Amino acid sequence: MRFFSLKRFGLLAMLVIALGLFIFISTHAKANTLPTGDQSNPPTSPNWSLAGVQPSSPALVVTPPPPNTDTCLSCHILGQNKGLWTPLARWVLFGSLGMVFVFGVYRSASTWVTKSPWKPLTNRAADWVDERYQISEPLSKILNKPVPRYALNWWYCLGGITAFLFVVQGVTGILLAFYYKPTPEAAYASIQYIESQVYFGSSIRAIHHWCANGMIVVCVAHMLRVFIMGAYKRPRELNWVSGVLLLILTLVFGFTGYLLPWDQRAFWATTVGSEIAGAIPAIGNLAIIFLRVGWNVTGETLSRFYGLHVIVVPLATVTFMAAHFLMIRRQGIAKPL
Amino acid sequence: MSENENSNEDTIPFYPDHIRTEFYVVLGVLAVVLIIAIVAMIKPVGIGEPADPLNTPLHVKPEWYFLSLYQILKKIPPIVLGIQGKVIGVVIPIILVGLIFIWPFLDNKPDKSKKIYWIRLAFVSVAVITIIALTIWGEVS
Repeated sequence: MRFFSLKRFGLLAMLVIALGLFIFISTHAKANTLPTGDQSNPPTSPNWSLAGVQPSSPALVVTPPPPNTDTCLSCHILGQNKGLWTPLARWVLFGSLGMVFVFGVYRSASTWVTKSPWKPLTNRAADWVDERYQISEPLSKILNKPVPRYALNWWYCLGGITAFLFVVQGVTGILLAFYYKPTPEAAYASIQYIESQVYFGSSIRAIHHWCANGMIVVCVAHMLRVFIMGAYKRPRELNWVSGVLLLILTLVFGFTGYLLPWDQRAFWATTVGSEIAGAIPAIGNLAIIFLRVGWNVTGETLSRFYGLHVIVVPLATVTFMAAHFLMIRRQGIAKPL
Repeated sequence: MSENENSNEDTIPFYPDHIRTEFYVVLGVLAVVLIIAIVAMIKPVGIGEPADPLNTPLHVKPEWYFLSLYQILKKIPPIVLGIQGKVIGVVIPIILVGLIFIWPFLDNKPDKSKKIYWIRLAFVSVAVITIIALTIWGEVS
């Protein structure tokens, strides 16, 4: 098995770029920039009040010395303190070169000592894992499972797109949650902060916003495709049921996420929406209390919607998605007439 | 059962053929995501006025995917057959969702011919056009 073909390198590179972008966005910090208006009188030493040394100090920010006034001449000659990413880049560059060198030495020595051809590291790793957990047989069974050719038809990609959009929503949602503050005082300002200050913040928010809309569209389209083709028929009834549940969960995602920016539209849409839930016979008032945590939309509502949006509904969605996929796997893709 | 079905017909392996196709689809979606990201740098989603519980705006609208339900609720008369219109406007969608939910158990005969596809397509088209019309109505009103 050629493990390191060019295509796999491409995949790996995409993963690395995605991960790097993720870390880049989530390490947004003004650690390396001076507060504006403070250029004339920069702080000369770090403020240690975070450690509790000077609790009376007004600023709770650890400010590094500005590059133009700090005294570490050698740092500048060596190119240090240029940015947050400089040490990592340097370690990755020189570290990987060093590892390539060590690997070359070891490989040469090994082939010379054992007088046998070199066994690639990836094969060794695969053997190591397989020896302990015996996964190669079930894995190859999973990978080699025959799929009917009609599954390549364009109509069959809608469910996959929905699943992928869910992943996109997860990643961008985590990034937003890093900066979002679910309190009525801070929510609006934190959205403004995301839009204006965070690296690619407006992009992340726009992706989350538009992919949420797209997910609903694609999800409904997938459902209509299944309905028209009659793919819900025996033996796939429960797959349809789980799919409808997933659509409802997607809508709940939309409803709970809509409140989080805490602007007028969000607030009043939630007020009206929960009022409609209150019109349900028998459980109306209970539903209002559950949604609003009280009779009015308040900060508690925001906390509850945030909790639902980032913990409860995602967990439920992942569970039902797993069930959905496992059932497809078990029963195969429905055969059209 | 399904494996026997598949074994004597035209199949492709899940890996790499099916995975590759799905991967191309993913790349296509990623391209769209990238376009959204670039456009957002020029024109962000933005945020409205801060929430003010004391100041009700003139036009309160839910998200577009709830707009058709909201429109039904708005246009239903206050009292229908002695029942509050609001309750009917809430209960009917719930019943419809429940119907969709248990649909496979109601329509459990295997399909005989391809004609049924067209019947279902017509049914779906009518439903979708109704929902779209209600949504547009709700959007402009």
